[in-house]
Amino acid sequence: MSLTKKIILGLTIILIGIQFFQPLQNKSDEVTASHIEKVYAVPQNVKAVLVQSCYDCHSNNTHYPWYSRIQPGSWYMAQHIKKGKEELNFSNFGEYSPRKQRNKFRAMAGQVKDGEMPLSSYTLIHRNAVLSQEDKQVLVKWFGVMEDSIK
Amino acid sequence: MKNITISIFAVITVFIAASCNQSSTKNNELSENNTTATSGEQAPSQSKVNDTVPLPATPDTSIGKNAGETATGGFSIAPIVADYLSLKNALVSDDANAAADAGKKLFATLNKVDMKTVPADNHKKYMDITDDIKENAEHIGDNAGKIDHQREHLASLSEDISDLITLFGSPQALYQDHCPMFNDGKGAIWLSESKAIKNPYYGSKMITCGMVEKTFN
Repeated sequence: MSLTKKIILGLTIILIGIQFFQPLQNKSDEVTASHIEKVYAVPQNVKAVLVQSCYDCHSNNTHYPWYSRIQPGSWYMAQHIKKGKEELNFSNFGEYSPRKQRNKFRAMAGQVKDGEMPLSSYTLIHRNAVLSQEDKQVLVKWFGVMEDSIK
Repeated sequence: MKNITISIFAVITVFIAASCNQSSTKNNELSENNTTATSGEQAPSQSKVNDTVPLPATPDTSIGKNAGETATGGFSIAPIVADYLSLKNALVSDDANAAADAGKKLFATLNKVDMKTVPADNHKKYMDITDDIKENAEHIGDNAGKIDHQREHLASLSEDISDLITLFGSPQALYQDHCPMFNDGKGAIWLSESKAIKNPYYGSKMITCGMVEKTFN
């Protein structure tokens, strides 16, 4: 067996091997009491966009497409989700102080408006998470209303 | 063939072991970096505060200082305000890198505050406000390349600082200025040590845009 063949075989086996090491999934059937939908009335059209484009990384419940289980992609994704939830977790939104909630709404509006969120590295693969102009308007408007309502 | 299987198995084991080690050492490195950053910054910030605090308060030093330091002793928001002002001034001069450094310094300063010295009656409010300041400072520190994003966080940060001053008194003479244009016409405030308007939200583009809204001290 030539060296190249050995290397290719080795790499293939490593790739297959790491498939057995999957990170814990960010999944929970329980809707927490402090979930944003429990503490605020979220209009249907807003909720639809949040579920589609935000909850994967910013809640305790990620919707995993089949390809997200392929390693090493799922490690990368797990890191993403961890960071995303640190910044903003819709499942714990009710636990934030009013000040923090207000600023989160403001920051969300800014990030969506500037096209910073959802991250381009995420939408590159998750094409259905891309926000249309209309989606953006729906979100930014609602975030603005919520920001002003919390004093 | 048997040899190959064994060697491949060994490679996989090594790979896994290495990746596990890597993540743990990475974490260690991170926390070490954090501590060195904080301790490294400790000395200059302390001395800087000592230098800057008495300066603006020449006519009424005693009043200014007493307002900032409360009766419990030891607790003062003066270092926080001083760091905020240098951050704000970095954005006035459109310097995103200096703003990032100032954001990191503000973050470090907040972590140094001894919680036990915070007056008990305002403890919860203090926590709420400073949690938010930390978050804003962290984001400004992490976004040296994005001055617009830093300025968005300055808007939240300035409200926090204003609330902090309302709660504990101002350590020095300060002006609360208002910029009506920022955030799509929603407006934003900032605090300044000088009466002359120097707008941190637009910098050199609209340096004199804004008005004094309130005066502290």
